[in-house]
Amino acid sequence: MKKIKFIGIVDDDPITVFGIRKMLNTVVDCEIVEAYQNGKVAFEALHKKFSENEDIPEVIFLDINMPIMDGWQFLDEFLKLPINKRIRINIVTSSIDPFDKKKWEYYKENTHHLITFNNKPINKQDIEEITQVA
Amino acid sequence: MLIGPRIQSTSYLIKQLPTLTVFIDREFKIMHASDKWLYTFGERSNTIFGQCLFKVFPELSIKWKSVLNECFEGKSNPMGVQIYEQNEQKKWYEWSNTCWFDENENIIGAIIQINDVTEALKNELELEKTKVQLKQQSEISKTGRWEYDIINDEITWCDITRSIHEVSQDYVPRLDTGIQFYKEGYSRNAISMAIFEAQEKGKPWSIKLQIITATGKEKWVLAAGKPLYEKRELVGFTGTFQDINEQVVANIETKKNEKLLRTLVDNLPLNVYVKDINSKKILVNKAECEHLGVKNEDELLGKDNFDIYDYETAKRFTEQDIKVMTSLVPILGEEVISTDKKGRQTTYLTSKIPLLDGQGSSTGLIGISLDITNIKQKEKELRNLIDVTSLQNKKLINFAHIVSHNLRSHTANFSMLLNFLQHEEDEEEKETILNMLNSASNNLLDTIENLNEVLAINTNINLKKKDVNLFDSILTVESNLKDFITENKGEIVNKIPQKQSLKVIPQYLESILINFITNGIKYKHPDRNPVLSLKLSSNEDYKILTVTDNGLGIDLNKYGNKLFGMYKTFHSHENARGIGLYVTKNQVEAMGGKIEVESEVGAGTTFKIFFNEKN
Repeated sequence: MKKIKFIGIVDDDPITVFGIRKMLNTVVDCEIVEAYQNGKVAFEALHKKFSENEDIPEVIFLDINMPIMDGWQFLDEFLKLPINKRIRINIVTSSIDPFDKKKWEYYKENTHHLITFNNKPINKQDIEEITQVA
Repeated sequence: MLIGPRIQSTSYLIKQLPTLTVFIDREFKIMHASDKWLYTFGERSNTIFGQCLFKVFPELSIKWKSVLNECFEGKSNPMGVQIYEQNEQKKWYEWSNTCWFDENENIIGAIIQINDVTEALKNELELEKTKVQLKQQSEISKTGRWEYDIINDEITWCDITRSIHEVSQDYVPRLDTGIQFYKEGYSRNAISMAIFEAQEKGKPWSIKLQIITATGKEKWVLAAGKPLYEKRELVGFTGTFQDINEQVVANIETKKNEKLLRTLVDNLPLNVYVKDINSKKILVNKAECEHLGVKNEDELLGKDNFDIYDYETAKRFTEQDIKVMTSLVPILGEEVISTDKKGRQTTYLTSKIPLLDGQGSSTGLIGISLDITNIKQKEKELRNLIDVTSLQNKKLINFAHIVSHNLRSHTANFSMLLNFLQHEEDEEEKETILNMLNSASNNLLDTIENLNEVLAINTNINLKKKDVNLFDSILTVESNLKDFITENKGEIVNKIPQKQSLKVIPQYLESILINFITNGIKYKHPDRNPVLSLKLSSNEDYKILTVTDNGLGIDLNKYGNKLFGMYKTFHSHENARGIGLYVTKNQVEAMGGKIEVESEVGAGTTFKIFFNEKN
């Protein structure tokens, strides 16, 4: 089983968080899995870790529709952080709005991090595929 | 010489003749001359006797020699006229001769008499000239002459009179046939009456009448005449007869055209006017009169813009007039708004075209304008309708997205959890998954309920607007939320006039008030107690309820476009559901209103709720 040190989940829906956690347990050996209930909470936590030189996640599961700060707003802020390591950000959303897909393409083109777009529902095979260090 | 003394004595008699007379012998030698003759022909006097006539007057025609020779044979003939120049004056003399007999009836020479015919010739020439001129004049003016001689019952027509009647030159008119030429009815009656009156009262006449010519053509003529008297006795009539058909027909045509133009201008569904160089109206049509609310065009003629419109409009219009008249470039179909003296506004589609004189400079302008106020109003309504429909359309699409997204996220959860359940063997974990499924199901029900609520607002057309007292409504909501307000140490400042009523759907108003009041208190600033003030204002189309709080405020640059979206929350508040403002917005819009928002982070938020009282 592959090993990943730190995985982050940004989603306001506890069921999705539960599901991702559960599936991760079966496909990857991970030391830390942290969940954040919206973009703002996630950004603040990660920003703190980064500025204090602590570990930050190598893979992030990111929801789009969230209160306070949504997935895009999170990306706006997070991508500004001068993180050299290439991080894998997996967008997981139930949105099938073509507008969201366009937005993803824009973000993907403008960062050195790896960003993928995944529609819910997401299964074990999908999780296995997208859960690796970029 | 035998002849000598006899000549002498005769000579004295001849000397005294009052006419220019000269006696010549058969050799053309001048024998005697009257003093008058000598005097007239001047210095030749003393020496001419005995000289040959043709030597003394070398200018005389040689032909006259033979004429005189014939005279010597007893046959006197006329000689003709001879020019004689004297003191730079041309004189015309007529020479005539007669035989000169001695006592024995022998022709011994010729007596020549000379008459000064200069005056007579001049007169004759003058007369000739006058005749020619008269003829030309009458031909040009198509004026003929006629005369009627009562005694002989004879009518004379000149050539022109004949040609006006289109009869041959040998046609002989009579009084009755002359009158028959006049068109039956008015013309014939009128001429008969005129002749009768002239006969009875001596009145001359000059009237425009119609005749039917010999070839059957209708013609307008000016028939004039007057009675002629001799020793107070009526002897006839004379007069003129002028063909004025062209003028009359042209005149009738002009009048017809004028009438046509006026009818056209008056009945155009456009306001038409003509202005002079000073911007004063010199012609207005009926539409313009009606439009400006006057009964008679005289009330507008001579008026300028300042007499009709308010100062600003008049100034603008006058500048426009001057521009058209100086640049000579017309204004076509321009939209202008005018305000009259009573403050009424009108929108026109106006055209101004410069009027030019023969030299190409402007003498005024023609204005054509169409009142499009109603069309503009319709256009505005139509545009509003389009705005409303496109807004509805947007809302529908938005709603479809919301539905699809919200349902999708739930079904995704169901599918995921069911998949887990299928493969789960641990009983405890199964229990957890079942609990999750239960919660997912409740979430789905909530979502559907919310969507239903929104759908109801947008589809429920049975709810009718009623007059509701706004002040009282706020009091009711306040008392319902009393515990919540007290708990948060909130204060509501109700600045609504107590008798203010609002035409709304009462359930919606209540829901809207609850939402804004709870929001204003829920998102209070941690450093101060929440204060909410409500007041009402109005504009042309709406009554506006303004709700101002002193709470957290919202960064509108960040969240502005999502503020009224479904399931959007902006504050980390446990009770934030992200449905309130979405529903509120739908309720306000369902009543034909809108919501505007102003906010400053840390200072507070002001919502303006626009109520449309129309149905």
